[in-house]
Amino acid sequence: MKQSAVWASLLALGVAMAGTVAARAQDELPAPSPIEKTLAERAEHVTEVTLDKNMLAFAGKFMNKDKDDDKDERAAKEMIQGLRGVYVRDYEFTKDNEYSAEELEGLRKYITSSDWSPMVHERTKGAKEGTDVYLKLVNGQVQGLFVLDAEPRELSLVLILGPIDMDKIGALSGNFGIPRQAVRDVKKAQKEAGK
Amino acid sequence: MRQREKSATWWSATMILGGIAAAMTPAILLAASGSGGGFDAVVRSIESRYHVHASKIPFLGLMSLVADHATHGGVHSVHIAEIEHMEGPIDGSELNALVAEHAGPGWQRIVRDTNRSGDEQSLIYVKPEGGRLGMLVVDLDHKEMDVVEVSINPDKLSDEISEHRRGHEADRESSDKDDSQ
Repeated sequence: MKQSAVWASLLALGVAMAGTVAARAQDELPAPSPIEKTLAERAEHVTEVTLDKNMLAFAGKFMNKDKDDDKDERAAKEMIQGLRGVYVRDYEFTKDNEYSAEELEGLRKYITSSDWSPMVHERTKGAKEGTDVYLKLVNGQVQGLFVLDAEPRELSLVLILGPIDMDKIGALSGNFGIPRQAVRDVKKAQKEAGK
Repeated sequence: MRQREKSATWWSATMILGGIAAAMTPAILLAASGSGGGFDAVVRSIESRYHVHASKIPFLGLMSLVADHATHGGVHSVHIAEIEHMEGPIDGSELNALVAEHAGPGWQRIVRDTNRSGDEQSLIYVKPEGGRLGMLVVDLDHKEMDVVEVSINPDKLSDEISEHRRGHEADRESSDKDDSQ
């Protein structure tokens, strides 16, 4: 009787620990995919920005204090301080088509799991270039945003983890290495979805 | 009796000195090996790997004090090392790994900007230091490299920037008013 109670406690502890580890893993930024390494080897110019939760909370302090009285600005600042991670990779190539469609698909699959829903998949027929926007929805709330923007000579990958207020998404534009184009793509996608 | 007291005093003194020496040994070894991380360790590792000598800026301590005073504590503890004549091809990945290894615990790379050949590379590391933020920048531009470490207080620096911005805006407004008159 006593022994079975011990086993039950150990099992409960194991389940709780597994749950904690899984929750933590979801919060953490992913390790770079092997595809990124090969892209970096081919790219003429590479920019990598990685900010974790602590850094974002700290970086939020740098934002314009003058506008703290502005309700929208304050909400945007709070959103940034509440994010769990920002991961940006930008690859610039000297020639067109230095990446393959398979690599793009591999990157999409690597980042997005079951919680992610495609919001936009913009592609010209027969061309690799295009934009993909994915949202991570947890209980109906946006908990992540992934943008993959493929231009003929540039590939940008933006991953933002944490609660995101889509109305305040403009506050991220140009901050923390997030390309303005990525935010423009998201806004365009929102507009399209609203139609 | 007096002999016994004397020997007890000697014994206590020896124990205290021994304790201090034991406590300080790891710190001394750490400092000597350069594995304490941060600016000094990174500069030393670059000097040793690429057989170069880093020039220190004269009166930098004084300049650091002035910066601290001018920004009301916003910018503090400035360290700069300038390395010229970095000869030979530089493997960007190797430099990146070298800095990561010697930056030490607590330092986190937030930005890496590099070209394919690796001879143009900027690395930005940060480290939270209580209310302050340590920032370590390694910038390689072909044969020149700069290593900068600075400790900033975001709140104070932000206040300072806001103050200047308000001043500029007030100046602009008054000059616009003058123009319209």
